[in-house]
Amino acid sequence: MIDWQYSESIESPDIVSIKKKYTNYIGGKFVEPKSKKYINTISPSTEELLSKVPLSNEKDINSAVKSAKEGLEVWSKLTPNQRSRYLFKIARLIQERSREFAVLESLDGGKPIKESRDFDLPQVAANFFYFAGWADKLDLSWATKSLKPYGVVGQIIPWNFPLLMLAWKIAPALATGNTVVLKPAETTPLTALLFAEICEQAGLPPGVVNIVTGDGSTGSLIVNHKDINKIAFTGSTQVGKLIQKSLAGRDVGLTLELGGKAANIVYEDAAIDQAVEGVVNGIFFNQGHVCCAGSRLLLQESIHDEFVKKLEKRMQSLRVGNPLDKNTDIGAINSKEQLDKITGLVNEGVEDGGELFQTECELPGNGFWFRPTLFTNVQPSYSIAREEIFGPVLTTLTFRTPEEAVEIANNTEYGLSAGVWTEKGSKILWTADRLEAGVVWANTFNKFDPSSPFGGYKESGFGREGGRHGLLSYLKASS
Amino acid sequence: MIDIKKTYKNYVDGKYVRSESGKTYTKELKNEFYELPLTSKKDIRDAVTSSKNGYKKWSSTTPYLRMQILYRLSEMIEGNKESYIELLMDHGFTKQKANKDIDESIKNIVWFAGLADKWEQLAGNLNPVSEEYFNISHQNPIGVVFSLSSSNVSLNELLMSILPSLTVGCSVISYSEENSVLALKFAEDINNSDFPSGSLNILSGKFENILDDVSKHVEINLVALHKELDNEGLKTIEQNASESVKRVFSQPSTEGFSSILPYLETKTVWHPKGT
Amino acid sequence: MENIKTHGTSIEWSNVLEMVHESRIDSVGLNERVNSLATRSIKKDSKLEALNMIVSMCDLTTLEGEDTEGKISQMVAKAIKPNPLDSSVPSVAAVCVYPSLVDIAKKKVQHSNVKVAAVSSYFPSGQVPMESKLLDTKYAIDSGADEIDIVINRKAFLEGDYRKVYDEIVALKEVCQDVHLKTILEVGDLKTYENIRKASLISLAAGSDFIKTSTGKLSVGSSRQACYVMLKSVLDFESKTGIKAGIKVAGGIRDAKDAIRYLVMINEEMGSDWLSPELFRFGASSLLDDVLKQIKKLKTGAYQAGYYFPRG
Repeated sequence: MIDWQYSESIESPDIVSIKKKYTNYIGGKFVEPKSKKYINTISPSTEELLSKVPLSNEKDINSAVKSAKEGLEVWSKLTPNQRSRYLFKIARLIQERSREFAVLESLDGGKPIKESRDFDLPQVAANFFYFAGWADKLDLSWATKSLKPYGVVGQIIPWNFPLLMLAWKIAPALATGNTVVLKPAETTPLTALLFAEICEQAGLPPGVVNIVTGDGSTGSLIVNHKDINKIAFTGSTQVGKLIQKSLAGRDVGLTLELGGKAANIVYEDAAIDQAVEGVVNGIFFNQGHVCCAGSRLLLQESIHDEFVKKLEKRMQSLRVGNPLDKNTDIGAINSKEQLDKITGLVNEGVEDGGELFQTECELPGNGFWFRPTLFTNVQPSYSIAREEIFGPVLTTLTFRTPEEAVEIANNTEYGLSAGVWTEKGSKILWTADRLEAGVVWANTFNKFDPSSPFGGYKESGFGREGGRHGLLSYLKASS
Repeated sequence: MIDIKKTYKNYVDGKYVRSESGKTYTKELKNEFYELPLTSKKDIRDAVTSSKNGYKKWSSTTPYLRMQILYRLSEMIEGNKESYIELLMDHGFTKQKANKDIDESIKNIVWFAGLADKWEQLAGNLNPVSEEYFNISHQNPIGVVFSLSSSNVSLNELLMSILPSLTVGCSVISYSEENSVLALKFAEDINNSDFPSGSLNILSGKFENILDDVSKHVEINLVALHKELDNEGLKTIEQNASESVKRVFSQPSTEGFSSILPYLETKTVWHPKGT
Repeated sequence: MENIKTHGTSIEWSNVLEMVHESRIDSVGLNERVNSLATRSIKKDSKLEALNMIVSMCDLTTLEGEDTEGKISQMVAKAIKPNPLDSSVPSVAAVCVYPSLVDIAKKKVQHSNVKVAAVSSYFPSGQVPMESKLLDTKYAIDSGADEIDIVINRKAFLEGDYRKVYDEIVALKEVCQDVHLKTILEVGDLKTYENIRKASLISLAAGSDFIKTSTGKLSVGSSRQACYVMLKSVLDFESKTGIKAGIKVAGGIRDAKDAIRYLVMINEEMGSDWLSPELFRFGASSLLDDVLKQIKKLKTGAYQAGYYFPRG
């Protein structure tokens, strides 16, 4: 491939002005943390310091929850139509400032601007638009009058789709009449704090949305706060289990959206070229930092060699580099910690006997980077076939019959998503019926829509986000 | 200084047109006389041609985009609130009553806008058939809808006669007799809201002139009468409609989820499950 | 430019059938891939190189009932020197004309590297007996054509008679011998991606040196989607046989921006081997002028008007 084609085409970061320091958004105001402590947030592609944000302590969380309770008083007395209008307004404002948010997201988190601009931000706006329209028609959503909001909801979100995860949490919570205390991930707090400005601009009543930053200890404080009626968490299965344990014996609602090790099943009668595209998208989209990533490629043995050859060739054209470069396909790994984890697991894979293929590409000097990686000749017992890597690493397994494919696909404690590639309709439906996964993508992958429920089986969590079913995560049955 | 008086024209296929007959009828408002298009049979035929195309475009617009367009309509009306209030007051409304009518209108547009990308989740469903088949029922909008507005002057009532069918993807020909000035003014906000041409056409005139043509026109899929007609009139329409099995609804409900049901056709698809 | 190498060999029919029946394409996924390739953006220096490359890949075309010696002379002059005021702009690859204009075209290109391509086989419809197709091809070759562009028998293809489609191309290649053969699929008639793939494989197997998207005579010409299907077919064919065939896109490539998108796609999907007039061509008439405009704009920084460039 001639490289003259892709000289840099950089999106200017000037559109967003990043403050030297940010503060929490509590009770409709920006307030300094009572802890007086701050943590740094860096750009993972350059390792340069972007800003610092509060490391909130118990007093800060108490303050946030108190505001959320006060906000609830006001929010619950509004008419559903009024709540709907606020959400529509927020959606519009996000649309207007999309580019600014997209650039900030790429800087703070490392994902390519192509994705934050063309995927994350449009989805963020769409989620607010979609749930705005539920706010005034909850009575239609489920044929029961006994569903009521929880009240004050604590929300803890991850670093892989910072603003989108915020939208997935806040939009339905507000639409169903709850108020929130949200904590963004430690490494990606900036778009959440910029979102707080949108809340201000929209004139949202104080206390309805509260954004507090911090680390694991902050999250713990939220989970254990006695005045929070429900916790919504998206993150690792490990932490999810700890949260579930903390809530034992307390009457607190809980939804968990945890890890995955999705199987992408390619049958021999698939449309091969499109399946290659789907597999690539499934694992390399967002550097593989996706809970529902298609990280296990299950290939029907008869097409193994042909498919792998095409896959390796296709991987070779993936561009790793500056997230602000519009031509970048794969951005930076989110943190040193994550990079070490990925490297560790890949080394284990090689030691176990897996055959490693990595694309040849130059990596920038500074920052955290990992080349697109493919393992073949893997046994189901290897750690790379069982553990969630959360990076641009694809593991290949083979099968001979549909029954075997389903068995291998389900042979995991996870159950978030799965892919099925075949041109035969009945086989899609048969396979989908048998997969223990909350989302099945047939002849496609990584498709999201606010109207489409998302969530997992087994240790990938419980509860759904999005769609009519997603409302149930924020409404409790009252007697 | 003599004020320039607005000329009200029909709104068809994204354009403002006079009746091809050249005829008008008069409406008096606050000592001013307005000439309004007296829609003819040929106008109806042209409107239906436009609505057919409009239906293709509108029903294939994604629900998300339809929601955005409807929401934008609410933004347009909100922005022109003052002029609507003025016009309603010209019709004899008190300021308070006019305000209420506009507020209700906006509230309802927002409600229906937010329904555009959800109604399918409420109307359709998987059917638990007893054999190894995937079986799903989902709805398509019925097509071209002719809607006769009520005789009351009210923006809200006008909107409610249009919104349910429009929201689910039908194209609508909205016909007003007594409420025509308001309806034709409203057309301006439609024009500014990115609706595909032909998805919503607004005409004025005397219904008795076109009753026959409308009820016999095969390419109008549904007639919704939001005005009470005398027995003879209704009977004639229903008789004519039977010739092409056209659906006729007299004073259908305009509120809530059930308001969209008349405008839907259910399609059920079966597919085997197996290897 | 060197004489284009022709592979001249055809593949056994039974093998062809096997390849053809394995054609499965998901159009939604394909469209997504093609659209994502269009988001690549290239910067100024690379753009200039790309634009010059496009000029060198053009087959400047006129295929009208009203073509005369005068028209051809004018076009050939432009083909040799697209921008008389800028000698850094290369000549085009070829001129493409009807058989009766081949001899005049040949005379006019004499002292240049520009080739003369002729359409034949009863272009554009091909709805005549085989004898007629062979006759007009032979006539074009005798008149001196360096390249021949034929049309596949769509009637036979859509009737399911793939063998006939194959046999006709083999026979026409036989007449061509070393003359470079491009086979036009007419994607606008084939409609589905599967059909385009099948027609591509049949044409390649029968000995075509190039497969070409369209005659340019239908309202539906080339599309990047059709080109994508064809390039995958060319790659799969190469993988099975070792033979590298070329692709020509014609009809509907309106401007330089669009042409660059094609090159981006070829580059990323096939690699730099195909970025050469030996293996990639644009069938162009108005495209060339837009490319010249863009070249001048890059060099001067100002948007250009059409009247700066000679008519062709």
